[in-house]
Amino acid sequence: MAYREKTGWLSLIAMAVTFGPYFALVAMHALPDAALPNVRQLFAFGVTAVAQALIIGAGHLYFRRSSPDDARMPPDERDQAIMRRSISSAYYVLIAGMIMVGVMMPFNSSGWKIVNAALFMIVAAEVVHYGVMVASYRRQAS
Amino acid sequence: MTGSVSNRIRLLRFLNGEMSQAELGQRIGVTRQTIAAVESGKYSPTLEAAFRIADVFKVPLQEVFTWDANATASADD
Repeated sequence: MAYREKTGWLSLIAMAVTFGPYFALVAMHALPDAALPNVRQLFAFGVTAVAQALIIGAGHLYFRRSSPDDARMPPDERDQAIMRRSISSAYYVLIAGMIMVGVMMPFNSSGWKIVNAALFMIVAAEVVHYGVMVASYRRQAS
Repeated sequence: MTGSVSNRIRLLRFLNGEMSQAELGQRIGVTRQTIAAVESGKYSPTLEAAFRIADVFKVPLQEVFTWDANATASADD
């Protein structure tokens, strides 16, 4: 498996195990949507962001140690083509999300609902980004 | 649209002392996985990479890659 495909899977898994539970809590209204600042929301988001950073950091460290030559090699033309395709796919998700969150939601929502909706769209765009990336690598794998 | 690029990289590697995919990749600046994808027809390289591959084997480009106008395309890029 290509080094960059491994990092794509790592990012997808990290998002699933961190932001998955976070958005599940938000959807179940387990975190109150009171006026800002909201310490419980902030704490939950902080734990989620730190957990994601730790998983990705540890994963990259492991991959670098297990295949140092692959890690050192800059992205080649196929990596760059896959990157372009995955980023352009994610862009449409992100721009649609930002229009919804930044233009439409302020008319009927406020506070953490908007913050969480924006976070959700960013995470959705990242899932599309890494999802298209790993799918492209899988399709081209022998 | 029909048509696809086929290649003889596997044969040329064999004829050049069973050169490994990793070595060929190293010599043209791509990963082993990219060479594997090119060799299996799942990825069409850029013109520059195609020329580099031909240069490694010291053969003209058309001896490495051929265009089959009637075949169904399979490569992603």
